[in-house]
Amino acid sequence: MVQDFLTVIVGGEAGHGVKKSGNVISILMNELGRYVFEMDDYQSLIRGGHNFSVVSSSTSPVYSHYMSADIIVCLDKRSVDIHKDRLKDGGTLVYNADTVTLDSGTGLPMKTWIKDIKGIPLMAGTIGVAAVSALCGVEFSFLERIFKANYPRGLEANVELARMVYERMKDDEGKFELATAETPPGHLLAGNEAIALGAAAAGLDVYIAYPMTPASTVLHYLAALSKKLGIAVVHPETEIAVVNMALGSAYAGARTAVGSSGGGFALMHEAFSLAGMSETPLMVILASRPGPSTGVPTYTGQGDLDFALNVGHGEFPRIVLSPSGTNQAFEKAAELLNLVWKFQVPGILLTEKHLGESWMTTIIDPESVKVTKPILYDGPLEQYGRYEKTDSGISPMLYPPAKGTVVKASSYEHDQKGITTEEAGKIEEMQEKRYRKEKAIVEEMRDLLTITTHGEGSTSLVTYGSTTLSALEAVKNVDDVKVVQVIYLRPFPDWALWEALSDSEVIVAELSVSGQFENLLRSEGFDVSAHIRQYDGRAFDPPELAARVREAIQ
Amino acid sequence: MNLETYAENTWCKGCGNFGLLNSFKDAVSELVEEGALRAENMVISSGIGCHGKTVDYLNLNSFYSLHGRAISCVSGMKIANPNLTVVAFQGDGDAFGEGIAHVVFSAKRNIDATLLVHDNSVYGLTTGQFTPTSEKGFKGKSTPRGSIEEPMNPLALVLASGGTFVARGFVGKRKHLVGLFKKALLHKGFSFVNVLQPCVTFNNTYSRYRESTYILEDEGHDATDFQAAWGKARETERIPIGLLYQVERPTFNDLLLEGLVPAEPRAPPLSAISEIISER
Ligand code: SF4
Repeated sequence: MVQDFLTVIVGGEAGHGVKKSGNVISILMNELGRYVFEMDDYQSLIRGGHNFSVVSSSTSPVYSHYMSADIIVCLDKRSVDIHKDRLKDGGTLVYNADTVTLDSGTGLPMKTWIKDIKGIPLMAGTIGVAAVSALCGVEFSFLERIFKANYPRGLEANVELARMVYERMKDDEGKFELATAETPPGHLLAGNEAIALGAAAAGLDVYIAYPMTPASTVLHYLAALSKKLGIAVVHPETEIAVVNMALGSAYAGARTAVGSSGGGFALMHEAFSLAGMSETPLMVILASRPGPSTGVPTYTGQGDLDFALNVGHGEFPRIVLSPSGTNQAFEKAAELLNLVWKFQVPGILLTEKHLGESWMTTIIDPESVKVTKPILYDGPLEQYGRYEKTDSGISPMLYPPAKGTVVKASSYEHDQKGITTEEAGKIEEMQEKRYRKEKAIVEEMRDLLTITTHGEGSTSLVTYGSTTLSALEAVKNVDDVKVVQVIYLRPFPDWALWEALSDSEVIVAELSVSGQFENLLRSEGFDVSAHIRQYDGRAFDPPELAARVREAIQ
Repeated sequence: MNLETYAENTWCKGCGNFGLLNSFKDAVSELVEEGALRAENMVISSGIGCHGKTVDYLNLNSFYSLHGRAISCVSGMKIANPNLTVVAFQGDGDAFGEGIAHVVFSAKRNIDATLLVHDNSVYGLTTGQFTPTSEKGFKGKSTPRGSIEEPMNPLALVLASGGTFVARGFVGKRKHLVGLFKKALLHKGFSFVNVLQPCVTFNNTYSRYRESTYILEDEGHDATDFQAAWGKARETERIPIGLLYQVERPTFNDLLLEGLVPAEPRAPPLSAISEIISER
């Protein structure tokens, strides 16, 4: 019987090549014309422990992963203990027969085989890929092609191992007959990659960051591509240096972004306000982790919403938005970079590990991205003032060198030329000028996609960020519920949300213990009839979320 | 050339900041006249403290930055546009307290920037607390019984961090200071000038510096000799001023950018992005 939806779990120790194995299975599924969502669960350690990858795929879009699987590959004993109960009826458990003996499932002597061919422990993951491939009835030559493209090192040994797997699993070959399509539906990208490329498409010139999971992969990705994209990528001594360098870079006219997680962004706090005061465009990628403090670095959570909305001392406008999947991440990263330059404000792209480090089928067109030029000064140079008063609050920019005038930016309260002032009237004038931009941003937002609505129903499941992905999967199995995603969080697009929520009950789902998003909705005047919260560092499992939505409706 | 602005100067009469500011103006004017520097290409930045007002008093491109961060701010400018000549003014509390990591790393990476430190060994604007360079025993508002810490040695710090231009000046020796500033501005790489700059209100060290400073250039110091520079940096009885050390080393911005000028307008790399995506 042809099967459309399939979930595979591969589990093992750090060092077993678990993530690589998940990646290659994703690529295989993509090549078979299937949409993919891959979630990698790993701990903050380099060896041992327990890692696993979940790949859910189908011929129609898959928005998030499922925790019950058709195929579970266990590269060590611990994986068997952790995952065996997640096997669906009719599913297959593949295990390492050298470390565990089971009554059911398919045991493969992984260690022995690797030893026989003088391989390395990392190759356990390859055996996993081959087992999945065999179970799905993938022709060996097709698998070989995938291997060729993905294991440049040790290709022969890996192909040899795959052959052993196919041989041993002959009886189960093709047990899962998968629905396929002619061509891959899109390309596989992780959220952080999509964010990086989106910003690049909108003309990112400089990226500066200090490593902090789950934002680090933006740094790694852009560093690897810096030549190709013509982007200067810098990793300085501290997050404080990061953000102050970024402000200098933007002042000099380079479109600049920084990225971090909560703790690192906390160090950027002071200069975030400097961006507000000096009206320097600054794009921040804030990939939150379950906190507080060091929290749980490699897991997912949405506890930084209030932080993102309120970060900074003093008052100044800023933009906070949060995309859900890779397609939107690409688009909104580009949009945010354009907006911070148009309005000369700091902006935060708030995200989580569930988007940033998950691989998704992505369909984007870089050519669709337009660069909005900032408002540049073209009047008589001797009259130029960096902080000239305007109706919109936006003062035309100039970058040094600007022969005939000077460009003076300041952290101190200043007059229209950028010279320090402590005069009451001038302080008031500047506060008002900066604040007027808030209104201008809202006007601009009316033409932008600030919320999304999926499906129809008398109940709205309201979410933001990557929790939207779990919600989109969950409501596939609940009647009369639509998903409403809030993309812009500050300024808050209340006008769009009122329209989307008219006449519907509101259930809020978020990864927070205190319900920050729910509180935000309430403070904007929206009634919330029920909430679903999770704060164990994991994304919602769609069936579990569906059950909680059904419960909430009753 | 006119480097004046309309900002009212609020430094105390006799403050050492004046000597520093005027020496800098002279250095810039002379270099511009000599054709070695273009004023519009210059960007200055300062931190917070009495020295911070320098940006208001100079008719040059500027970014009034935060406490300790001016060197990071101008480093970012240099990365965005390597054609700029960038100068950071910082106080001693600012540079060696709050911002010490940035000084150390700017020297380590040899970013092509100039850092001029207004070293008066006291916090002036916050009304007289001890700083990282205050003498042991210094009685300030936060150390009423006298500082119990050893003072920091800025020159040794920057030398040890890999600085390629390390100098000390004294505002009481104006002509000498102008010469140092000119050399620092022309040096390709990280230039550091620690300027002894008495605070007449909270720590008047004029007479001490007048008595104990001497000029290195007068004594045949070899500025290419690291060991000699290291020795000079650690002298405390007599205080050497002048250029302690200067070497050439590739700059961070040159190595990083390899000819790229990020701030220059260009079309986004859309085809490269399409290619990157299609490879996946
Ligand atoms: S307090 Fe000291 S450093 Fe500040 S302006 Fe007065 S004399 Fe100069």
